Amino acid sequence: MNTQPVILETRKIVKQFPKVLANSDVSIQLHQGEILALLGENGAGKSTLMNILYGLYQPSSGEIYLHGKAVNFRSPREAIENGLGMVHQHFMLVENLTVTENIILGSEPGRGLTIDYAAARRQVKELSERYSLKVNPDSRIEDLSVGLQQRVEILKALYRKASVLILDEPTAVLTPQEVEGFFTVARRLRDDGVSIIIITHKLEEVKAISDRVYILRRGKVAGMRETSTVSKEELATLMVGREVVLTVHRTPHQRGQKPVFELKNLSVQGERGGEALRDVSLSVHPGEVLGIAGVDGNGQTELAEAIMGLRSVAAGKIIHKGELVTGLNTKKRIHRGIGCVPSDRHRHGLVLPMTISENIAMGLHRDKPNARFFSLDYPAMNSSANALIKRFDIRAPGPLTAAEQLSGGNQQKVILAREISRKPSFLLVNQPTRGLDVGAIEYIHSEILRMRDADAGVLLISLELEEIFSLADRILVLYEGQIVKELKPENSSEKEVGLYMMGGGP
Amino acid sequence: MEFFSIFNTQLLVAAVRLGTPIMLAAIGASICERSGVVNIAMEGIMIVGAFVSVTVALYSGSPWLGMLAGVLAGGLYSLLHAFSTVSLHLDHVVSGAVLNVLAFGLTRYLMVLIYGHPGTTDVIPVNLSEYQFAIPLLSRIPVLGPVFFNQTPIVYMSFALVIFFTWFLRKTKIGLHLRAAGEHPMALETIGVSVYKMRYLGVLVSGLACGLAGAYLSIENGASFTEGMSSGKGFIALAAMISGGWNPIGAALFSVFFGFADALQIRFQVFKVLAVPEELFIIFPYIATLAAVAGLVRRSRPPKADGVDFIIERAEG
Amino acid sequence: MSSEHSAQMKTPGKFSSIPRISAIVLAVAGSIFYLAGQFAGAVLILLAGGLYLAGLRLEQGDGGIREAMARWKKILAAPLSGALIAIVIGGIIMLLTGYNPIKAYSALFYGGLVKNWHISVINAAPLIFTGLSVAFAFKAGLFNIGAEGQYYIGAMAAVWLGLILKLPGIISLILVFAFAAALSAAWNLIPALLKVKTGAHEVITTMMLAHTARYLSPIFIRAFGGNPSTSTHPYVTDEILPNNFLPVFKTLFPNANYRLHTGILISIATAFFIQYLLTKTRTGFEIRAIGQNKEAARAQGISIGLNVFRALLIAGALAGLAGVNQVTGLDHKMFENLHANYGWNGISVALLAGGHPIGVVFTSLIWGILDSGGQYMARTTQTPNAIVEIVKGITLFLVVARYISFYLKRYWKRWNMSGGK
Repeated sequence: MNTQPVILETRKIVKQFPKVLANSDVSIQLHQGEILALLGENGAGKSTLMNILYGLYQPSSGEIYLHGKAVNFRSPREAIENGLGMVHQHFMLVENLTVTENIILGSEPGRGLTIDYAAARRQVKELSERYSLKVNPDSRIEDLSVGLQQRVEILKALYRKASVLILDEPTAVLTPQEVEGFFTVARRLRDDGVSIIIITHKLEEVKAISDRVYILRRGKVAGMRETSTVSKEELATLMVGREVVLTVHRTPHQRGQKPVFELKNLSVQGERGGEALRDVSLSVHPGEVLGIAGVDGNGQTELAEAIMGLRSVAAGKIIHKGELVTGLNTKKRIHRGIGCVPSDRHRHGLVLPMTISENIAMGLHRDKPNARFFSLDYPAMNSSANALIKRFDIRAPGPLTAAEQLSGGNQQKVILAREISRKPSFLLVNQPTRGLDVGAIEYIHSEILRMRDADAGVLLISLELEEIFSLADRILVLYEGQIVKELKPENSSEKEVGLYMMGGGP
Repeated sequence: MEFFSIFNTQLLVAAVRLGTPIMLAAIGASICERSGVVNIAMEGIMIVGAFVSVTVALYSGSPWLGMLAGVLAGGLYSLLHAFSTVSLHLDHVVSGAVLNVLAFGLTRYLMVLIYGHPGTTDVIPVNLSEYQFAIPLLSRIPVLGPVFFNQTPIVYMSFALVIFFTWFLRKTKIGLHLRAAGEHPMALETIGVSVYKMRYLGVLVSGLACGLAGAYLSIENGASFTEGMSSGKGFIALAAMISGGWNPIGAALFSVFFGFADALQIRFQVFKVLAVPEELFIIFPYIATLAAVAGLVRRSRPPKADGVDFIIERAEG
Repeated sequence: MSSEHSAQMKTPGKFSSIPRISAIVLAVAGSIFYLAGQFAGAVLILLAGGLYLAGLRLEQGDGGIREAMARWKKILAAPLSGALIAIVIGGIIMLLTGYNPIKAYSALFYGGLVKNWHISVINAAPLIFTGLSVAFAFKAGLFNIGAEGQYYIGAMAAVWLGLILKLPGIISLILVFAFAAALSAAWNLIPALLKVKTGAHEVITTMMLAHTARYLSPIFIRAFGGNPSTSTHPYVTDEILPNNFLPVFKTLFPNANYRLHTGILISIATAFFIQYLLTKTRTGFEIRAIGQNKEAARAQGISIGLNVFRALLIAGALAGLAGVNQVTGLDHKMFENLHANYGWNGISVALLAGGHPIGVVFTSLIWGILDSGGQYMARTTQTPNAIVEIVKGITLFLVVARYISFYLKRYWKRWNMSGGK
C-alpha cells in the first residue's frame, strides 16, 4: 500500500450528458508522488472524468477534494491555479506560434498589457534544463516532431507549477523508443514529487509505468489494483467485462502467385512541398495482408491518397492486376475494384448527414442497380443497404438513418460494408480500428482476415504495432517516406520494428 | 485636360481619404477574423454608425458627440453578431447577411420616423473635415506631407489604429490570446482563457471600427446620411483584409490601394480624359478586388479556426 | 425491423396513382386560378390536398399522413412562425413610435392578399428564381451571394435577343429564356473557375461580379435605345418584340390584372424541377454530397471541381431566369438604375426557406405580399414603408436563429443539472 498522503480525490462523481451517462459514482484517490493509471476502453468515461477534474466540464453531482479540501473548478484556470496540469491526447498547441509563446500562453510574464518576451524565453530555457526536457524555445510548433510536441505540453504544465499532472493517452502517437523516453521522463517527474495520472487503454502501458491502476467500464469504476500484483488478463477482463482473447486467430493461407497490386518507385509530393514518399516499391498478392508500420506523419497519408488517386504522383507507377492505373482518377479506380477504408471515417469515410443507404451507394451511384438513367433508384439502394445492415450487424433503425446518428463502431461497419460488398480485388485499410472498443476491433479484424481468405489483396496501414502483428503476413516499415525494411512477423518483434520506425536498425 | 496631369499629389490625398473607411473596417475585420469570427455584417454596421453619427451630430450640434455615438452604435450593433455566432453558434456568414438586411431596414425606418422621409437626412451644420489640421514640420515634406500629415481627424485616427492594433496583436497578452482563439480555440480554453470573451472582443473591435468608418462617411467626408451610402465598402474592406494577409498593416495598404482606384475613377469621370463610359471606372475597384482575392497578390493563410464554431461541452466518451 | 421503417420502404401501390395524379391536376388548376386572382381556386387546392391525403392513407396508412404532415411542417413552420412573431414585434414598434398597428396591418394584408394580389405575385416570381439560385448553391456548400449580378446579365441577354428574334409561336420565347439562362450561367464561370483553380471564395468573387454587372447595365442600355443625346435620365432600352412577351393571365381570365403574367407558373415549375434534381438525380446526389462533406465525396470518386462548376452554373442560370422573367413578362424593356434588388432579396428568401426549393416558393410569396402590401399600407395609412423592411429583417433573424429556443432549453437543463452552479 502507498503510505503517502492522498493529494486528489473524487467522491461519487456523476456526469450526465444530454444523451449519455458518461460517469456514474466515480470515486478515485491519487497519492502524493505516485503514477496512477486510469484504464478503460473508448467511451468508458476516462476523458470525461479528467475534463471534470480539470474544470472543463462541470460534474452533475459529486465532489472533488484536493489536499483534503473540497474544491469546485469552474474553469481550467482555477484548476491550473490549484496546481493541476493536463496533457491532452490531441495536443493543445497553437501550430503557428513558437514553443515559448505556447508555453507562456495565458500566464505571460511582463507588466501590464505587454509580454516580456526576453523573460519568457529565459524562463522556458531554465525549465527545460531543470527537467532535462530539451527543446528549442524559438521553434514553431508545426516544425516539431510529435515527441517534441509532447515535451512542450509537459513543459507547459510544469511552467504553471503543476503538482498533479494528468496525461491523456500519452503514448498513442509515439514510437516504442519514444515511449521509453517518455517513461523515463514520467519516472523522473514522479521522483521530483509530481503526482501523475495516466489515462490509457493499453495494458502494456499500465504494467510498464504505473504504481496503481483504476479500471473504468461504462462510466463506473470496475476495480482498483496494485499494478505489481495484477495480471494483464485480469486487467483485460475488468476493462471489457468479459473474457477477452488478446490475439486474433489467424489461419495460414496460401497467397496467390501474381501480385494484384504493385507500386514501382513511387514518389509523391507532400502538403508543404518536399517529397513525402520517395521511391516506394511494394507488391500485394491476392490472399495476403501486407502491413505498413510507421510513426504517424512518415508518408502514410500520402501513400493512401496516391493509391486512391486523390493525390498526384511525381514519379513511378501504380499497377493493378497488371495494368497501369497511375493516370486513372478515383472513380475509375473504384470501378476497377480498388477499395479503401480511410483513416478518418468522419472526414473521408462518410458524408455524415446522408443516410446509410446513400453512403453505401456513393461511389457506384452512377451505375446499376443504384441508378436508372439520370435518376437514383432509391428502392434498390435501400434494399441492398438493408441486406448489408443485416450481414454486418450494423445497429441502426434502417437504411434511411443518417450516418451521424450511429456510434463510431457502427459507422466503421458501414464503411466496411460498402467496401467489402463491392468485392474489391485490392483493399487499402488505413487505421481501421482507431478509437473503437474491443468488440468492434475484434469484428473488424475478423472481417479483414476474411477478405484475405477470400483471396483479396489487403494493404494495412496502421500506427498500432499490435494490430500489424496480429493481422499482417508481411510487414514493411515506412520511415520518412521510404520503405526501410521488410520483415516477417514470425521472425521479428515489436521492439525490432520500432527501431526501424525510428530510422535505426542493426 | 491632359491625361497625365491627373496624377498629382491631390490624387494621393483623395486616395487616402477614400481609402479611410475601407481601412477602418479592414483593420477591424483583421482583428475579428484573427479571433476566429467571420464578419460580413460590416456593411450593415457601417450604415448604422453613419446614421447614428449624423442624427446625434444634428441634435447635439457637436460632430464629436456624433462620432462618439456612431462608434458606440457600431459596437453595440456588432454585439448582435457576436451573440448569434459565438453564443448561439449560428453560421457566421448567415448571421452577417441577416444583420446587413436588418441594418438597412432599421436605418430606413428610423429615417422616416425622425426626418419624415426616406433618402437623405438633413445636413449637419459643422462637419469634422473643418477640423483638418497640418502637423507642423512633417506636413512640409513633399508629397508625403500633404498626403499623410495634413488630414482630417478620423483619417489620423485610422493611421493611429493601424499602429495600435499591430502592436496589440504582436506584443500584448490579449493580442496573443486573441490570435490563439482564431487558431486553436481549445488550446486557449484549456489553459484557462475564455475563447468566447476573445471572440466577443474581436467582433466588438470590428464593430467599433466600422462605426467609426460610418461616422467618417456621414460627418467627415460628407455632412449628411444617404441610404446605401456605404456602397459596398464593407465588402471591399473584407477583400482588403484578405489581400493584406489578415493583418492590420497589410489590410491598410490594400485599403489605400482600393481608395486609389476609387479616386482615379472619379478623376477620369470628372475630367473626361478618356472616351469610354464612366461606368467602366466605377467597375474598376470591383475587378481589382476580384483580382486580389483570385490570388494575384501574395497568398497567405487564414487563421485555422476562422469561421469555425466553438462549443466546449460535447457528448463524448 | 420496425414498422416505421417498413412504411418507409414501401413502393407506391398501383391504386394510389389515380388519386395522386388527379390531386396534382387539381392542385395545378387551382393554383393557376388562385394566382390569377380567382380566389375560388383555393377550393380546388383544398380538394387536391384532401385527395392527396386520402391517397397517402390508402397507400401507407395513418403513418404516411403523419409523415407527410411532419415534412410540410418542417418546411413551413419556421418561416411562418418567424413571420408571425416579427409582425407582432413590428406592431409593437409601430405602437411605440405613434402609428396604429391594427390599421396599418389591415391595410398591409388587404393590399397584399386581395387588392394588389397581382403585384404580390408579380413580385414573387423573380424572387423564386433568385431564391432558388441561392438555395441551390447552398446545397453544394457554396454561397451565391452575387445572384443580383446574374439577374442583370439575364435581363440584358433577354433584351438583346428579344429585340431581334422573331420566330413562330413560342419557339422565340423559349430561345430567349435559354439564351439568357446560358449567358448568366456563363457569367458564373468566372467565380467557378477562380474557386476551383485558386480557391478564391465565391462570396467575394460573385459579389464583386454583381457590382460589375450592375454597372455594365447602363452601358448596355445606352447601346440599345437609351440615347443620351435625346432621352433624359433614366435611360431605357427599346421595347422587345411582342412575340417575345410572356403570355398574361388576362387572355384566359378576363378579370385578371393586365400586368399579371405567367412567369410565376414557370418559376414554381422550376422550383419543383430543382427539388427533383436535388433529391432524385445522380447530379443532385453528387452536389449534396460535396456540400455536406467534400472530402468524403472526393474519396468516393466524386469530382469536387466538376460539381462546383455544375452548382454555380445552374445557380447562375436560375438567377438569370429572374431577369428574363422581368423583361419578357413585366417590363418588356430595361431601365437604368432600377434597384429592384431581387438578387439580394433572393438570399433572404433562400435563408428563410432553409435552402428548401419548395420552401422558397412560399417564402417568396410571403416577401411579395409584404412588399406590395407595404406599398399599399404606406399609400393609404401614411405608415412608413420601412416597417416592412424591419419585419422582414426580424423574420429572417428569428428563422435563422431558430436554434435560440433549442439552446436556451439546453442551457436551462445544464444549469439545473449542475445544481445551479
